[in-house]
Amino acid sequence: MTKVFTDGLSFALPLLIMAVGAIYSEKSGVTNLAVEGFQGFGAFIGALAAVLLMPHLDKSSQIPIYVAMLFAAVGGGVYACIHALLCINFKANQVISGVVVNILAVALTTFFTSAANTALAGTASNKFILGVSNRYSIPLLSKIPWIGGLFQKMYPFEWIIIGLVVFFWYLMYRTRYGMRLRACGENPQALDAAGGKVVRTRWIAVIISGALSGIGGICFAYSIMANYSPSIYMGYGYLAIAAMIFGNWSIPATVLVCLVFGIAKAGGQQLCIAMQLPGNYTDLFNMLPYILTMLLLIFFSKRNHPPQASGQPWDASRR
Amino acid sequence: MEEYIVEMRHITKRFPGIIANDDVSIGIRKGEVFALLGENGAGKSTLMSMLFGMYTPDLGEIYVKGEKVEFRSSNDATARNIGMVHQHFKLVDNYTIAENIVLGVEPMTRRLGIFPSVDMKRANREIAQLSKEYGLEVNPTELIQDVQVSVRQRVEILKMLYRKAEIMIFDEPTAVLTPSEIDFLLRIIDGLRKAGKTIILITHKIEEIKQIADRCAILCRGRLVDILDVQTASVQEMANMMVGREVSLTRVKSEPHFGKNVLEVQNLTVLNEHRFPVVKNVSFSIRSGEIFAIAGVSGNGQTQIADAVAGLEVASEGAILLNGKQITHDSIRSRAQAGISYIPEDRQSTGLVLDFALSDNLALRQYPKKPYSDHGILNFGRIRENAVTLIDRYDIRSGQGPKTIVRSMSGGNMQKVIVAREIEEHSDLIIFVQPTRGMDIGAIENIHRYILDERDRGAAILLISLELGEVMDLADTIGVIFSGEMLKIAPAREMTRYEVGRYMMGVKEA
Repeated sequence: MTKVFTDGLSFALPLLIMAVGAIYSEKSGVTNLAVEGFQGFGAFIGALAAVLLMPHLDKSSQIPIYVAMLFAAVGGGVYACIHALLCINFKANQVISGVVVNILAVALTTFFTSAANTALAGTASNKFILGVSNRYSIPLLSKIPWIGGLFQKMYPFEWIIIGLVVFFWYLMYRTRYGMRLRACGENPQALDAAGGKVVRTRWIAVIISGALSGIGGICFAYSIMANYSPSIYMGYGYLAIAAMIFGNWSIPATVLVCLVFGIAKAGGQQLCIAMQLPGNYTDLFNMLPYILTMLLLIFFSKRNHPPQASGQPWDASRR
Repeated sequence: MEEYIVEMRHITKRFPGIIANDDVSIGIRKGEVFALLGENGAGKSTLMSMLFGMYTPDLGEIYVKGEKVEFRSSNDATARNIGMVHQHFKLVDNYTIAENIVLGVEPMTRRLGIFPSVDMKRANREIAQLSKEYGLEVNPTELIQDVQVSVRQRVEILKMLYRKAEIMIFDEPTAVLTPSEIDFLLRIIDGLRKAGKTIILITHKIEEIKQIADRCAILCRGRLVDILDVQTASVQEMANMMVGREVSLTRVKSEPHFGKNVLEVQNLTVLNEHRFPVVKNVSFSIRSGEIFAIAGVSGNGQTQIADAVAGLEVASEGAILLNGKQITHDSIRSRAQAGISYIPEDRQSTGLVLDFALSDNLALRQYPKKPYSDHGILNFGRIRENAVTLIDRYDIRSGQGPKTIVRSMSGGNMQKVIVAREIEEHSDLIIFVQPTRGMDIGAIENIHRYILDERDRGAAILLISLELGEVMDLADTIGVIFSGEMLKIAPAREMTRYEVGRYMMGVKEA
């Protein structure tokens, strides 16, 4: 049981940071289906930075992880500029832009991973071997019965993500930028008439979205996968979008949804082990979060309130 | 020229194809209510958009407090203490009133002395005080989506006051209000004038100018006709200048000749998509030769009545009879063929196929019948001939005659297309829903003449209008609807404008 909580949390938090990114973009009025591409591209840049750095450091050094997170954020943010440019400046259809950005990310990162491996190691592998981050348990808290699992064997990035989520929650609901951002996604005319800058607000939001997605991606690479490869495009980005929708575009609610997803996934795996089913059944149980997604969609999509202006390009001349 | 707080000299503004303002010069004195009168498209809003920094003039100069200014955005205008209430409010629905007011100029504080954060407590306090000061009672913590249109307008006014506006531009502020709300707004404007603010009022309603304005500039087709002292100018004179020809302000109505009952609506109930009743147990009847007008504030169920009669909405309870025959469950087309014409509220989506040619739109009702089609094959020659006749008869103006794509036409001409098509059917019952919405005096005069002509021909007319003036001018019988219930039905000559207005607000015993 404790393992369900431990694994659940380590899956839920990277998902959450991607969902928070998606919320930023959508709350500013830019529909974001590009999370999958952002996280993949961000993770690629992070992983590349790590493999370049690793030969110069001690084998057990944990420094590359933090460097990778930083670069993943930068990479995701830079890559998100494509989506921002298409949606905000060129007023493209935002759904199509999101899909295009995703497809482009898969193609670009697969190609450049092999190219980088050829240059570095001489083999055209499509993987960067990263290893798995160290894990730490919190004294005392981890001894609590049942939920103690939440505090056992934590990846350090989990703490960073929790900090980031708190910071970005505060930014959205308590600060001037957040107030303008939320107005921008509801009624950009109102913000414009009040003297705010719609284009700038949306650009910043989409870049934040890319950066947070990149962090989510590299955390998956350093935990479940232990390497960077095209299998990073597992659909976690879409799961993050689903979490955002069930969370009704609210950060606190999305935290809960991500926890439920994480625990469902970890629970499925433990169930599979407990029932002593052959390993290939794991895939079946891995479907749990997605089935949950479909069920929740049926019940929750009706009373949701998406940002009113999400998906609509802002045209300053049409006031 | 020192006496003017705002001066616009020789302003010219061109848009592709039209000259919106042609060498317009006006001067506005501090502390007056200055009205800009003109028809739709006369260039009033364009002129004020330049004063508010949303457009830059092609030619001409703007002076504020004697200084020459060149505004690049509305922020520049705000910095010069100019504010504007737009015709369509610019508010965030799920923000509180206070949040909407401070958006863009948020007061800041530091939480725990470190973290910067918007100080909503201070904002709420300041706004409560400001709203008391000017008699604009609002509750700062209420959400915009929960308050009425008139309150939203007060929020827009408070937005200007919060930004320390001295010069306030109101763009058609009364278009969305009921008569009593209009009175309240005019009192607010009067209060602002007494507080030393300068008010610019854009409108096409002369009676409001008469009530509140000190001076009035009249624009016609982009040019300044004259600047008048409102005290000494007559309404007829102002109307003629505004339209550019003699207009008749009073509707000449002949004595009614009522015949047999054409439409009978009995205990009609209509549910909306949430299964909630929006029309509740409504009964009325219309005789031939009678104009039955339903007055009411927008959204009280009047459109649903029209839609239920025309067949666009399902009547969940009750009966609809046309010439004594049950049509409650008939299809839209069989009702139309039984004798119902319908001029819908939404011209663009319900009334027309915007990307079809004018000739096709004029044939939308008759096309399945001979001679417009034979055994399912359309006869384009006849459809064209029909269009040529109607274009001439109803003075429909378009770029390329019958083959003009309707989308490219002006709103007034689109309405003429629908009116022509529906009236030409010579139906027993004609339903007009907001037939003159957004149209100007000249065009309104024409539409009203058609309505009265059809009545005199012996048609029964169901008129649904949000314009109380229109209802009072045209109706033989008035029904007032409030929250889905028909509160009062009475002959028009037995009701005053104020009684109708009070019923519209839901007051049962006037």
